[in-house]
Amino acid sequence: MAKYLGKKIAFYVILIAVWQVVAMANIWPNTIFPSPSEVAEDLAYGVADGSLFYGIATSMWRLIVGLSIAIAGGVVLGIFMARVEIVNQTIGSLVLGLQSIPSIAWVPLAILWFGLTDSGIIFVTAIGAMFAVTINTYTGVKNIDPNYIAAARNMGAKGSQLVTNVLIPAAFPYMISGFKQGWAFAWRGVIGAELLFSFLGLGFLLNVGRQLNDVSQVIAIMIVIMGMGILIDGFVFKRIENKVMYRWGLR
Amino acid sequence: MTKLEAKNIVKNFGHNDYKLKALDNLNLKIEDGDFVCLVGPSGCGKSTFLRIVAGLDTPDGGEILFDGKPVTSTGPERILVFQEGALFPWLKVRDNVEFGLKIAGIPKDEREQISNRYLEMMQLTKFANSYTFQLSTGMKQRVAIARALAMDPDVLLMDEPFASLDAQTRDLLLVEMQLIWEKTKKTIVFVTHNVAEAVVLGNKVIVMKHRPTSVKKEISIDYKRPRLAEDENLLKFQKEIISELRPEVTEKPSSE
Repeated sequence: MAKYLGKKIAFYVILIAVWQVVAMANIWPNTIFPSPSEVAEDLAYGVADGSLFYGIATSMWRLIVGLSIAIAGGVVLGIFMARVEIVNQTIGSLVLGLQSIPSIAWVPLAILWFGLTDSGIIFVTAIGAMFAVTINTYTGVKNIDPNYIAAARNMGAKGSQLVTNVLIPAAFPYMISGFKQGWAFAWRGVIGAELLFSFLGLGFLLNVGRQLNDVSQVIAIMIVIMGMGILIDGFVFKRIENKVMYRWGLR
Repeated sequence: MTKLEAKNIVKNFGHNDYKLKALDNLNLKIEDGDFVCLVGPSGCGKSTFLRIVAGLDTPDGGEILFDGKPVTSTGPERILVFQEGALFPWLKVRDNVEFGLKIAGIPKDEREQISNRYLEMMQLTKFANSYTFQLSTGMKQRVAIARALAMDPDVLLMDEPFASLDAQTRDLLLVEMQLIWEKTKKTIVFVTHNVAEAVVLGNKVIVMKHRPTSVKKEISIDYKRPRLAEDENLLKFQKEIISELRPEVTEKPSSE
C-alpha cells in the first residue's frame, strides 16, 4: 500500500493540526481538552523517566503469557471439539456461551481467586482470548478437505502425528484468524484488567492519569495502547498471515 | 499369484429411508504385477471399491484379501492416488513426496534419496522446492504419483487420476504410467470412466455393472507397449468394452 503512504501521512498531519487548532481556540479549558503538544510532552516525560517503557513491558509480558495460554488451550479444545462429537455437543455448547462473556466480566472472579496479582490479570487475558481461538480452530478443522485426512491416514498417519502433521497445518488459515481475534481480545483484556486491578502496566498508568486529573497523560497512554496494537497486528499477525496465504496460493 | 481378492463386497450408502446399494456382491481377483483398469459409469461405486481396498472405508459385507490376509485398516502396501491429488498445500513438493516416509520415521538422508529418485522419475526435480499452487494440474498429479511411489507400495490404487487433465498432458502421462509400471513391476488398480485410457493402460480391463455394482466382464488387452492413445489397433478393444458398457450407462440406477 505504498501508493497511499503519502496520503496516509497527510491525513495524520491534518488530524493533528486540526486538533491543535481546536485546542488553541480555547473552547474548553486545556485541563479538559489538551493540545497535541501537551500530550507529546507527557509522552516525552514518560519516556524520559522510563515509566512508559516499564508500563509497556509489564502489559506486554502479561499479554504474551495470557495469549500463549489462550492459544495452546484454544487449539487443543478446538481440535477435540471438531474431531470428537460428544466433546462438541457438551463442552462445545458451553464454549459458545462462555465466549459471550466480555473479558472484563471475569475480573471480579479473578480478583477473588487470585487476589491483586499478575496471575489474576493473566487469567482474565487468557480466558478472554481462548474461546475465539477455540471456535476458529474448530471451524478450521471442520473445513479440512477430507481427502487430506484420508491421504494422510493412507500413508500411515494417526493419532498425534495426524494432529501435528495434518490437522493443525491444514486448519492453519482459519486458526490464524482465531489468533488475530484472540490477540485483540487479549489486548483489551490486559488493559481492562490492569485498570481494575490497578497493579502496574499501561492500564494502571491510564488510571493514575484519571486519579491525577491529568487528561493529557490519559490521552498519551491511549495513544500508546493504540500504537502497540497497530505494531503487533502489522508486524506479527499480518506477517504470519501473509506467509500462510502465500503458501496456499491464496494471495 | 493372487495379490488382491474381493470376496462378496457389499457397501450401502445413506440410511433408513434412503438407502443406496453402491456395491453388491462384488467379486474379483487381481494377480501380482497386473495393471488392471476398472471401467464403469460415473458414480457406479468404483471409487468406493478403491477406498475399501485402501482401508479408508469398511464394507458392510464381504472382505478384501491382500496376499491372502483380510484387510482391516490402511497400510503402506496399499496406497491410493486421489482424483484431485489431495496434495498438502502447506508443504513444498519435496515434503509432500516425503510425507509418508517422515511419518514412518525414516531418517532425513534416506528420505531425500528416495524423494530424489521419484522426483526425477516424474521430472519434478526442478520443482522440488515449489509449493503446490505453483504447479499445473498435470504436475500436481505427477507429484501425487511420486508421493505414492515413494511409499513403495505393493499395490498402487488410482482413482481417476487423469480425469481433470487436458488431452496433451493426459497422453503424456499415459505413456509415463506404462513406463513406471514396467520399471517398478507394481500391481496397479486404475479406476476410470474413460475407455480409451483403460485400453492404453491396462493389461486387463474389468467392466463394472451399474448400481449396484459388480463385475460384468473381464477383458484382456494383449498388445505391445508402450501403447499410444491414437493407436488404431486398440480400437477393437475399445469397441468391445463400449458394447459391454452401453447398457449399463443407459440403465437407470436402482435404489431400494
